[in-house]
Amino acid sequence: MKKPVRILAGIAALALALCTAPAFAQETITVFAAASLKNALDDADAAFTKASGVKVTASYAASSALAKQLESGAPADAFISADLKWMDYVADKKLIKPDTRFNLLGNKLVLIAGKDSKLSNVQIGQGFDVAKLAGDGRIAVADVKAVPAGLYAKAALEKLGSWAAAEPKLAQAENVRATLAFVARGETPIGIVYETDAKIEPKVKIVGTFPDDSYPPVTYPVAATTSAKSGTAKYLQFLRGSEAKAVFEKYGFSYLAK
Amino acid sequence: MPELSPEEWTAVALSLRVAVVATAVSLPFGIAIAWILARKSFPGKALLNAVIYLPLVLPPVVTGYLLLIAFGRRGLFGAWLAEHLGVVFAFRWTGAALACGVMAFPLMVGAIRLSIEAVDLKFEDAAATLGANKGWVFLTITLPLALPGIIAGAVLAFARALGEFGATITFVSNIPGETQTISAAIYTLTQVPGGDAQALRLVVIAVIISLVALIVSEWFGRRAGRRMHGI
Repeated sequence: MKKPVRILAGIAALALALCTAPAFAQETITVFAAASLKNALDDADAAFTKASGVKVTASYAASSALAKQLESGAPADAFISADLKWMDYVADKKLIKPDTRFNLLGNKLVLIAGKDSKLSNVQIGQGFDVAKLAGDGRIAVADVKAVPAGLYAKAALEKLGSWAAAEPKLAQAENVRATLAFVARGETPIGIVYETDAKIEPKVKIVGTFPDDSYPPVTYPVAATTSAKSGTAKYLQFLRGSEAKAVFEKYGFSYLAK
Repeated sequence: MPELSPEEWTAVALSLRVAVVATAVSLPFGIAIAWILARKSFPGKALLNAVIYLPLVLPPVVTGYLLLIAFGRRGLFGAWLAEHLGVVFAFRWTGAALACGVMAFPLMVGAIRLSIEAVDLKFEDAAATLGANKGWVFLTITLPLALPGIIAGAVLAFARALGEFGATITFVSNIPGETQTISAAIYTLTQVPGGDAQALRLVVIAVIISLVALIVSEWFGRRAGRRMHGI
């Protein structure tokens, strides 16, 4: 062969060899998790890896987007949704093992503003004028049609009678962390996110808490998918353990698993 | 043809409006910059050329993020613009038009520059010897001769603006009625289980609009070319 062709053949062979390398890599569990779990689950996964030697790859996005990806055949071993609706959805499509399903965490909905905002101690009750608080800016929420954080926010605003005035002023983001970023960057004066999200972002502050009875309780169900690897059971077992409980409670989640 | 919901019509109308405004507003700048790059030589020309073509090469999300830093509500220019001129780009269709205009600009400049470079300097010189000043030469000789390229550049920019997604969604996110263009609407629908049918309808519309734009540009380009070459 001529020299350039030989070099090219050498590169191709090397590339092919590198592509087969992952076949010898250690076992990895892939978990699809709601965006709001990012920091807490990263820590919990690190603890699991330390304890068991099994690596965990987490993909964080809106639970609705993850459900859609699972439906399209995405290879995940476990799914943690931010509401029961999307877990029920994938259960209906026979994508998860129903006997592995359990409720892991709870959360609360809060109103946030930029840390330099003049707002503080907002009383959130019936007739709460959220549109006025936004002034000429918008109210950041997650997509109210599908994303759990947006669905909870819409439910709360509807129950409190503030929805009609708020709807035209919404800035809908594709997941709750993007919503958090809107307020942190000052793009919107206020936003509605989970309490745990507000706690990890130093550039925002909580200015009000939505009454518990204004929205369905935030529940994070977990389940193994039907295509889950054998090590997934151990992972789910870990999430039910005291070490994981400590991590989640540190971030402000309420721990529901027994 | 299945009926379109009001939201889908809004997305289509908004896309067209944003693309038309982006193309129309950037056209004078595009022609000016193309003319400078084609006819003038100065220190820093290579740098100017590189900066103009940057949005073409950078990942669209990066361009969107840079726009956010510059023109967001708390941005370098955005804060000043909002306070003194009342011009707000954040979460507005004006921001979407800005993002689309910036992304489409290199394509427009590229096409127009080529056609200006193709205009024979001898015609311009001849006009000058007959007494035309620089501005008149530009308007009556350069511009008409470069017209097929200008049209091609404008249509290319329009099509690019119509399809813009990455920079727009990063800069002004995805607000139905204000910044939810066809691309963003399709993206949102594909993220939600059950949204596939609606997404498909919008995809068909996007394809039809793009085809029409390309066919119209071809027709205009050929017509302008025929006139210039006296066929």
